[in-house]
Amino acid sequence: MGATTSVHRTIDAVWRMESAKVIAALARYTRDVGLAEEMAQDALVAALEQWPTEGVPRNPGAWLMTTAKRRSIDQIRRRENFNRKVEEIGRDVQEATPDASEGIEDEIGDDLLSLIFTACHPVLGTEARVALTLKMLGGLKTEEIARAFLVSDATVAQRIVRAKKALADAGVPFEVPEGPELAPRLASVLEVLYLIFNEGYSATQGDDWLRPELCAEALRLGRVLAELAPKEAEVHGLVALMEIQASRTRARTGPGGEPVLLLDQDRGKWDWLLIGRGLKALERAEALNQPPGPYYVQAALAACHGRARRAEDTDWQRIATLYGVLAQISPSPIVELNRAVALSMAFGPAAGLALVDEIAGEKALKGYHLLPSVRGDFLLKLGRTEEAKAEFEKAATLTRNEREKTLLLARAAACT
Amino acid sequence: MRFMVFVRSPKPMAALNGDALLRAGVLLDAGDLVPDALGVSGYWLIDVRDHEEAVERIRRIPLPACVVEIRQVAVV
Repeated sequence: MGATTSVHRTIDAVWRMESAKVIAALARYTRDVGLAEEMAQDALVAALEQWPTEGVPRNPGAWLMTTAKRRSIDQIRRRENFNRKVEEIGRDVQEATPDASEGIEDEIGDDLLSLIFTACHPVLGTEARVALTLKMLGGLKTEEIARAFLVSDATVAQRIVRAKKALADAGVPFEVPEGPELAPRLASVLEVLYLIFNEGYSATQGDDWLRPELCAEALRLGRVLAELAPKEAEVHGLVALMEIQASRTRARTGPGGEPVLLLDQDRGKWDWLLIGRGLKALERAEALNQPPGPYYVQAALAACHGRARRAEDTDWQRIATLYGVLAQISPSPIVELNRAVALSMAFGPAAGLALVDEIAGEKALKGYHLLPSVRGDFLLKLGRTEEAKAEFEKAATLTRNEREKTLLLARAAACT
Repeated sequence: MRFMVFVRSPKPMAALNGDALLRAGVLLDAGDLVPDALGVSGYWLIDVRDHEEAVERIRRIPLPACVVEIRQVAVV
């Protein structure tokens, strides 16, 4: 590896580590997240120009911060409100930058939290929140985000520009929300992290390293948030959920890339370190004694599987109870369908069938292939093979997944 | 990528400032190893994007006179 390449790789690493902190600190001074992000990018360009010849500074984070702040001053000088802001920023820079070796690590927590809440502000659409979070908090480049979401660079760049403009137009303050505003804003943050995680988690095909990398990034951001907001049970719940789900990554697909269902997975391939971390995060959530939220309950459900070394050791009664809790917090026919499966596993197929028949008329389940598929499974277990066959055939006509269709037709054919 | 960071230090791991790794969301595990004649040793297990990030993150930790070895964990 050449010296320049080596420096560039170091710059990449430093950027991933420091960019969120630099943007967060700048946003506190400028009260403008868009400007802060642009100035941080300018500092990155300066690093790319200078470090290969002058060497990587001893404290690269402080160097980036100082450079970005100086550029912010230059930028603001060109703006109309220069008098007021330049005075504030000039004072801040003078106070904060003479000693470049001074660490920024310990002072940045609140700024970082404010940046998370700003990037995930509900005034933004989902795609914009996701792109902004990965860009400003994950330190991902525009092209990396584009590759991860299988869209063009221009699309992502446009989303980010529009998002920053929307934040400015809406006058979103750079702060951690308090009081009644906190819960919905936190929910928005958690939703973004889980979306990023799921985008990576569902990418079972392709050799692009960045899609699994999305899982890792969502997990890392979740862990950061858990340290910044340790008294929020749902944050620990989400971290627990992601840790436990991520633990199954290597077991989720077969040699041909085909999905392997949870109960059929080789649990020897599960990552038991991540399961242990997930269970600890769940304990942290429980210790806070807060009313259970949806992420906590989903994590508790995942933990029921995570605690079972063998599929037959699964505590289905607890799973059925937890689905009951989830159905109360987040009522949904899909949750009820899952509860029916759990009831069937815990108390027999008749219990599951009774619930499925209760919810069969739900509008949201119309055309949903898993309803007849699950019903067929219960009927088959009850020895009602003709009815089961009809249900599997119906499910096969509804699914758009060819592998699943083949499987369902095979199940129908086996009903004799 | 996971990296095992072995630290040979005169102090136990708990006395070293590994909190930055925790706050950065990259620390998966940490522990002491049985001391030997050369001093106390321990490890951090971290999850980062690449080797450069592992090195940069460890470089930021103000360690006393230590010998540090960073090794990538093989994925089976």
